[in-house]
Amino acid sequence: MASSSPSTGNEMRTIHSKAVTIQVEGLYKHYGSVAAVCGIDFEVERGEIFGLIGPDGAGKTSTFQILAGVMEASAGQARILGRPPRDARLNLGYLTQGFSLYADLSILENLRYTAGLRKVPKADFRDRAADLLTLMGLEQFPNRLARQLSGGMKQKLALCCALIARPQVLLLDEPTTGVDPVSRREFWDLLAGIAIEGVTVVVATPYLDEAERCHRIGLIYEGKIQQTGTLTELRANLGLHRIEVRAENLPTAEAALQAALAPGETDLVDLQSFGDRLDILTADVDTATVQIRDILAQKQLSLQSLEANDPTLENVFVNHLRRQGADPSYRPFPYHRRQSRQLSRHQDLQQDASALPEPSVAISADRLRKVFGEFQAVKDVTLTVHYGEIYGLLGANGAGKTTTIKMLCGLLPITGGSMSLAGETQNLHRAEVRSRLGYMSQKFTLYDDLTIRHNLEFYCGVYGIPRSLHREKIEWVLETCGLAGRENTLTKRLPGGWKQRVAFGASVMHEPDILFLDEPTSGVDPLARRQFWRLIRDFARQGTAILVTTHYLEEAENCNRLAFMAAGEIVAQGSPTQIKASQSGQLIELVTSQTQTASQLLKQQLPSWRVSIFGDRLHLVLDRPEQDIGLVIQCLQKAQIEIRSQRLLPFTLEDAFIGTIQRAEVSP
Amino acid sequence: MNRILSQAQKELAQFSRDRLTVALALILPLGILLIYGYAIRLETKNIPLAVQDFDNSPLSRTYVERLFATNQFIPTPLAGTSPLSALDRGTAKATVVIPPTFSRDVAEGSSTVQVLVDGTDVNNARVIQNSIRGVTNFFIQSLPNISRPQGVIPRIRIWFNPGRQESLYIVPGIFGVVLWVFPSMLAAISVVREKEQGTAIQVYASDLSSTEWLLGKGIAYWLVAVAEALGVMLVSFLLFGIRLKTGPVPLLLGTGIYLAAAVSFGLFIGARTGNQNGAVQGTAIAGFLTSFLLSGFIYRLENIPFPLSLLSNLVPARYYIVLTRDAFVRGTGWPGVWYVPIVVGLIGFLLFKVASKILQRMQLLD
Repeated sequence: MASSSPSTGNEMRTIHSKAVTIQVEGLYKHYGSVAAVCGIDFEVERGEIFGLIGPDGAGKTSTFQILAGVMEASAGQARILGRPPRDARLNLGYLTQGFSLYADLSILENLRYTAGLRKVPKADFRDRAADLLTLMGLEQFPNRLARQLSGGMKQKLALCCALIARPQVLLLDEPTTGVDPVSRREFWDLLAGIAIEGVTVVVATPYLDEAERCHRIGLIYEGKIQQTGTLTELRANLGLHRIEVRAENLPTAEAALQAALAPGETDLVDLQSFGDRLDILTADVDTATVQIRDILAQKQLSLQSLEANDPTLENVFVNHLRRQGADPSYRPFPYHRRQSRQLSRHQDLQQDASALPEPSVAISADRLRKVFGEFQAVKDVTLTVHYGEIYGLLGANGAGKTTTIKMLCGLLPITGGSMSLAGETQNLHRAEVRSRLGYMSQKFTLYDDLTIRHNLEFYCGVYGIPRSLHREKIEWVLETCGLAGRENTLTKRLPGGWKQRVAFGASVMHEPDILFLDEPTSGVDPLARRQFWRLIRDFARQGTAILVTTHYLEEAENCNRLAFMAAGEIVAQGSPTQIKASQSGQLIELVTSQTQTASQLLKQQLPSWRVSIFGDRLHLVLDRPEQDIGLVIQCLQKAQIEIRSQRLLPFTLEDAFIGTIQRAEVSP
Repeated sequence: MNRILSQAQKELAQFSRDRLTVALALILPLGILLIYGYAIRLETKNIPLAVQDFDNSPLSRTYVERLFATNQFIPTPLAGTSPLSALDRGTAKATVVIPPTFSRDVAEGSSTVQVLVDGTDVNNARVIQNSIRGVTNFFIQSLPNISRPQGVIPRIRIWFNPGRQESLYIVPGIFGVVLWVFPSMLAAISVVREKEQGTAIQVYASDLSSTEWLLGKGIAYWLVAVAEALGVMLVSFLLFGIRLKTGPVPLLLGTGIYLAAAVSFGLFIGARTGNQNGAVQGTAIAGFLTSFLLSGFIYRLENIPFPLSLLSNLVPARYYIVLTRDAFVRGTGWPGVWYVPIVVGLIGFLLFKVASKILQRMQLLD
């Protein structure tokens, strides 16, 4: 265990005399009085993929800008290839957030311009461009304008531009934000190939699950690197295991287990509630398993399943931050009107859901269609959301999520199909219907240059809350957000997580029966995100129907039920467990002596989405593992690649999503 | 040099793809030219004039006819009995009152008529005053048997623009405004757009110098500006009858340099500001106001009061308008305008230098 602490790990590598290409020491960056980067140190070796993982505003982009030589550090130093970043600029490839492509130029023109900037000789350019475009699968339309490309293609073009001058160091600042999961996978496969060729890659991402594909990870939060190490090292450092518990009546089970978390009582360390399971962290799996069984037996709750697993990176991150006391305190939402109004209607639902054959329906859609001109944005979407349920709508950008949510809340007329909202099917934009809905959009819709109080007063007016109740409601939101006494702060001064709580407060002030949340958590750090989901869950348990869209697949675990959307259609629907279970085949992790060669070999045998590189490991999706694994092993042995270990892994929602989509593409 | 050209090439490709910008760049200047070319008329014509003729004799009627014989006045009814009523209602700008004794008094040697002029518009009032005085003098001189003193008689001949064609005065001035504002606006937007959309970071991340970057952009937008200049001049040739009065060399050279200075001004504004709004406001307001008000386009340079008059020395449009008026109206050639390319070129060079200095580090600012 001692050798896996990050500092020792670094030393060992340096001793092995691998060349260090990036060296960062005590780096600081201040913007006026705000410190964005507060003294970070790290080193990256040649050919390594180093992931800088953290939420928005953690200091990732500032660090990248300093490394790319486009911004001065306030203090400390960064050296790339032994030189100050500014002097190493031509040896760097830098992919910025948002890709910085010229929308009005074609693929080839974008490439040619970048090549010109980076002094690529004209003779080299033609070959290099052809190679790169073929590698990225863009060779068929070199004259298409950048603005006509999908997110995934833009990202690949940006990578082409970054690679055109054969850089030794590649800096990628959130390369996968706004890109669909399938393209993300392909992108990481490409990166793995690039790193093998000796290019040093530093990549920033807010997606914790992506970090698993880096060789080493630095967790960055509030301008400091909290921890560095390989995924295995970080997990080992945490020293905890994760147990997935599935039981009937989760809320009661959660309450019972939560009570047992108090120190000294049991070996349970942390509890996290998801849509259809509870995650428990513990140091000792065996004892904890017994304890969990006991507790649930006491409450006479039947246990459906109990699985021990590796902790996720999110567990590592959250626990690390908790130890530092960064966890904000949680205050439940105080309900006023709701109790009397809702309980009469939904009492049965909350008290014993099982006694009722079908809980009342809040939103239902049957073969819903939307056509914009020639373009079918939404095709035959059928779904039902009940009161008290969190329903997730997942999909890549442009899959039709936002169009669907807008139709369901009555903002957009439907082209075909039928729907009902809060029991109404006609005139959905009537005031009586509207007053029972809450909507929180992607951008939080708070006015940045108003104070918090003014914002809330504005929304009181918008939702037609009687003037006499304004004061009470506003106090209530402020209290809940922990912002009492700070109501005269300008909204733009609030950090992302707080702002989002205020926005949430504003959209539920009128205590809606049905709540629509459109990507509510983009750009929020993991701790705040966890709290936010707790708040949403509280609301659902009070009987509110909640429809939420997200592109964080890991987060979709919080939903009771969810639907995957692709190209306007629902391709899979069910609870997270059902969806994962319905995936045919198995996920297998292989550790081999030559990851890259093995991957190339296997991709010739299998469809390429079934093979992906995760750091120094390979993930394979096999439909008939018993037979196929034999072939795989044979094939690798023939190439004299040693297989060091192999094991079965549970599917993540992302695996399920990619599998579903890839299979859907093949079958029709 | 290669990098500068590839920069320029990229800018032109980008420019030509954006239809809205192309339309703005080529149509808006023509629109401004037409609006100004047709709308600005400093000459006063068709002034409504009411007449109260108490004499009503052949002589008084001849006098009234004389008043309306020029295009300057058009008759308008008196609207009541008081000579002031038409003025009060604003239907007439002036009223002429002819006394009952008019013919008799004229025959005796001297008579008076009363002229009431609306003084709201100071300039117009003076024009009306002068015209009525002129018409009256002419009327008296044309009377057959009146003895009048012989004095000095000026024989006036108008030089350069004998027909006093007003468009010849206005249109070359519009060139100075239009060819300053639009090229600079396009150049400023092209710099700021890269900052806003984050593409500038890619440029910063290469080792391109600010001079190379701005020069590349400058060349591209200078070419666009030349197209604008040709378009504007062609339309003026067709619609306003503007013709070259001298050899084309001073105009061509001067225009080339003036456009380069305009683009430099745009690059300077682009280097200073961070968003498109600022760039448009900066070039439109700063560029428009100075080239319109402080350039001698309409308002005489000599009328500009002291501290502003210093500023007007720095306005390139002031020099360029001298050059265009020479090329299209005066036709004297180099002797009158030799200093224009030099001064404008100097100002443009300074603007470019400052712009390139501002972006010298090619880095993000805090």
